[in-house]
Amino acid sequence: MKKTAVLFLLILPILSFSQETEEEKETIFKEFLNNLSGSFETNAQWYVNDNVLGDFDDPIPEFELENKHLRANSYLRLDYRFLNNFTFGLQAESYEPLPLLSYFPEYKGTELTNYYINFKNKKLDITAGHFYEQFGSGLLLRTFEERQLGLNNALRGGRIKYTPTNYLSVTALYGNHRIGFDHSEGDVFGLDLNIDLKEVIGLEGLSRFNFGASYVGKSEEFTAPVDEFDPNNTFDTTDFPELINSYAFRFDVDFGKFFVNTEYSLKGEDISFTAASLGNPQIIEGKYFDGSAILFTTGYTVKGFGVSSTFRRLENMSFSSDRDLVRPGNNPFGMGSINFTPALTKQQDYSLSNIYLYQAQSPLFIQNFGGQAGEIGGQIDMYYSFKKGSTIGGKYGTKVTANMSYWSLLDATFDQDNSTYDSELFKFGEKLYKDINFEIKKKWSKEWSSVLFYQNLAINKNLAIEGSYIPNDEAITSNIIVAETTRKFSGGRSMRLELQHLSTDEDLKNWAGGTLEYVVNRNLAFYVADIYNYGNDNKDEQYHYYNFGGSYTKGATRVALNYGRQRGGLFCVGGVCRIVPENTGLSLNLTTAF
Amino acid sequence: MKTLITLFLTLSITSLSFSQNELPSMELKTLEGKSIQLQDISKDQVVVISLWATWCVPCKNELDAISEVYDDWVDETNVKLYAVSVDDSRTVSRVKPLVNGKSWDFTILLDTNNDLKRELGASTIPLTLIIKNGKIVYRHSGYTPGSEEALFEEIKKHS
Repeated sequence: MKKTAVLFLLILPILSFSQETEEEKETIFKEFLNNLSGSFETNAQWYVNDNVLGDFDDPIPEFELENKHLRANSYLRLDYRFLNNFTFGLQAESYEPLPLLSYFPEYKGTELTNYYINFKNKKLDITAGHFYEQFGSGLLLRTFEERQLGLNNALRGGRIKYTPTNYLSVTALYGNHRIGFDHSEGDVFGLDLNIDLKEVIGLEGLSRFNFGASYVGKSEEFTAPVDEFDPNNTFDTTDFPELINSYAFRFDVDFGKFFVNTEYSLKGEDISFTAASLGNPQIIEGKYFDGSAILFTTGYTVKGFGVSSTFRRLENMSFSSDRDLVRPGNNPFGMGSINFTPALTKQQDYSLSNIYLYQAQSPLFIQNFGGQAGEIGGQIDMYYSFKKGSTIGGKYGTKVTANMSYWSLLDATFDQDNSTYDSELFKFGEKLYKDINFEIKKKWSKEWSSVLFYQNLAINKNLAIEGSYIPNDEAITSNIIVAETTRKFSGGRSMRLELQHLSTDEDLKNWAGGTLEYVVNRNLAFYVADIYNYGNDNKDEQYHYYNFGGSYTKGATRVALNYGRQRGGLFCVGGVCRIVPENTGLSLNLTTAF
Repeated sequence: MKTLITLFLTLSITSLSFSQNELPSMELKTLEGKSIQLQDISKDQVVVISLWATWCVPCKNELDAISEVYDDWVDETNVKLYAVSVDDSRTVSRVKPLVNGKSWDFTILLDTNNDLKRELGASTIPLTLIIKNGKIVYRHSGYTPGSEEALFEEIKKHS
């Protein structure tokens, strides 16, 4: 019935002015529209049976029974401004008749999912309803929306932001996370403070000197489980962490050419679970552990050159608003996370360099395999532009980008009999991921430009394929080369050709790929692409994953139509991943804003 | 399906009759941590806002292409470009070295939790806007080689 409510809200203001004259009506209507803005997005897919890959099949049995081949995820967002300082907004989401493959299965049907009312002036910003917020780099708290992954963990509650002076801001919030169409059991409250010390102290030598501190608390009631076989065996709830208090501190200092950003956070004592392999993991009685995160970034930049390096250590840093979501294997869709600890590796955009991807290992598992406590590692980025007119720079310049990352488990020793562990501060454990990549971009003339990309990586096999770590699993080592060139013609036309190759001796072995893109004008473009697993040992599984389609863009509206095969496996956006089954079909994406 | 069609119809009717033209009122931080009020930036001149990210290839291509001719644009029209990075905490530390490494002369703003991106309803980037007196007078998403020339034609119309 909420859909009717949405429509009613839309129509109500128009209907209620029926007493006015025609002219007045028109002005009022115009004013109403002027104050209304919004956006609409739909991603529809028609899954077809593929005579090579097999018939369409939904891994969720209940959905498979419904046998729906045509599905769409749609989002409508509306914001209405009134009385200068107020905004009222809502978002409706529809997953009809079922959500697209491998989305959170509780997304079923159409709902009014987010709503808020906001008051804002120069010093105050007050929201009631759903809101998005990030404290510092998000190590303790970040609420955001990522539609491609089906994630929206907006908090529903209240938030006050107060900026009394230009060097101080304070945020206080309270709420429950959105989990699908529902909300978390646990209550989350937070307090965040930002001070611009450069303004306060008046340091002229620095271009930036900020200090920040946050508190995030989570409170969730606990009902002790009853032992079915031995009623005398009661769960001792002494010291049970129903309330978890967490803190973070950060400094951002910028000396002009040289900068340092750092954040340290401490998560209060939280529960851990028995091994997933035994089935039905239970909370371990009386064993509660705190967690911590260290993030340190430093860099040096001058015109034409930039380098930055990041170090991060995470220990027991999965932080969820529902205790049950931490239960091993219980949360494959990544719902209800309070904090944000993405993989700090380079986000690649070539299709073959998106096959083997790293995922950050933040949680503590004492009883799984030999145990794991977190991750430690870092990455370095470098950017350089050769001067125009130099030998390598040529007439139009040459740009080089390089990135290296290395991640391993945090070194720790586990006493599984007593469910305890000891971790090392800065000691690297088993290697999980290593990546070296660089890219050279060269403009030959006004019409021609090319890119050459190389990547060498090694990754824990199970982590790359299933998204979870297995100790001492063999590593997949791969080398990827990509070359692309773009030719510009008159009248906005252009053509781009991209060739890719991935070589590895493990998993599915070698791949080759190519893309040809033709831009008719700035509004209209077409493409064909294919990746081909020609190295697969099984000759019958040397599949082509071809795709072709086009897109039309005008103003705020974009329509894209695409037909082809989707490779199965981990699908990641911004370091957050979900597993997508192989499928074939026709997809339509429509987005517009008004 | 019915709901979808209803939603779609509501939308097509409404989108035909009006278009968003106010720039959302919002405060964004520069790379130096200074706060900038979006409403204030287009008071004296025509402004281009480009939403981009360090991981978005067409975005970087667009800004590279504009960077080559930016001085001429400024001379001719007094336009100012704000490149708003929507990089989240995963990639935001790359923004400063990338901008300097590429020698871009734009003012960089950070939209780390994508508040502006959401309010503009930008589901894809790059998104390029021309702003005059706080109003959005032109909007285009996506970048194709050479489309910076069409953008400049639009800038000239409004300056």
